[in-house]
Amino acid sequence: MCDAEPQSLALSSPPDDVDSVHELLEAVWRKHDDVRDLDRMAFETALVELASNVIRHADAGSGVRCSVTVAVTESRVEATLVDTGEAGDIVLTAAQLPDDLAESGRGLPIIQALVDELTYTRDGGLNRWCIARDRERC
Amino acid sequence: MDFPVSHLPDGVAVLRPAGKLNMVSSGALREAITGLLEAGHRRLVADLSEVTFMDSSGLGALIGGLKSARQAGGDLRIAAVGEQIRMVLQLTNMERVLPPFERPEAAYADV
Repeated sequence: MCDAEPQSLALSSPPDDVDSVHELLEAVWRKHDDVRDLDRMAFETALVELASNVIRHADAGSGVRCSVTVAVTESRVEATLVDTGEAGDIVLTAAQLPDDLAESGRGLPIIQALVDELTYTRDGGLNRWCIARDRERC
Repeated sequence: MDFPVSHLPDGVAVLRPAGKLNMVSSGALREAITGLLEAGHRRLVADLSEVTFMDSSGLGALIGGLKSARQAGGDLRIAAVGEQIRMVLQLTNMERVLPPFERPEAAYADV
């Protein structure tokens, strides 16, 4: 099954957390059972890293609301996150891995390694993140 | 997330988390490792056979545990990783720092 009808989630953190993103993806994969294991694994890892980043940035303030929408087409798996957090100061050029024993700083390099497209825009007081991974040929 | 602990005959403590190691559960993993070190255990293994997913938060907790264990004169090693964890280790070049052993019993076979 390869339609582009998106599935989405409205996340409000706290109390919601990234486990709800895993649950959303389980529902997506149930609907699109032709998405290959490698694509599922890679996309889930990238999306959870991105959502974690959004939630973590909210921790400093009064919480964040975030909508997560996932669409599967014949050629790609895509997700859009729109959140109410502060403007991202993130630089989306090729991210460097931190020192071996650093305990953080690997999220963005992991995302970049696993998706074919990563964009960030700030519009109307909202952050909009898009990721897309080209699917393995069936 | 539950963290059952077992002990190998040679005194190695084996921590067996299950489920997802993400930002929700990584703090508890860190605390479990700290608890073992405080209880005097020095050689630790994280048996990841029941972990279905690990992200950079989970990896960060393992690295934090590794550093704490080394500071205490011990070590933390990992075993029985699945495909997704192996992918994360490869993407982050962490296979050198946290080389995955096939089984917990093999993690300290060299010492």
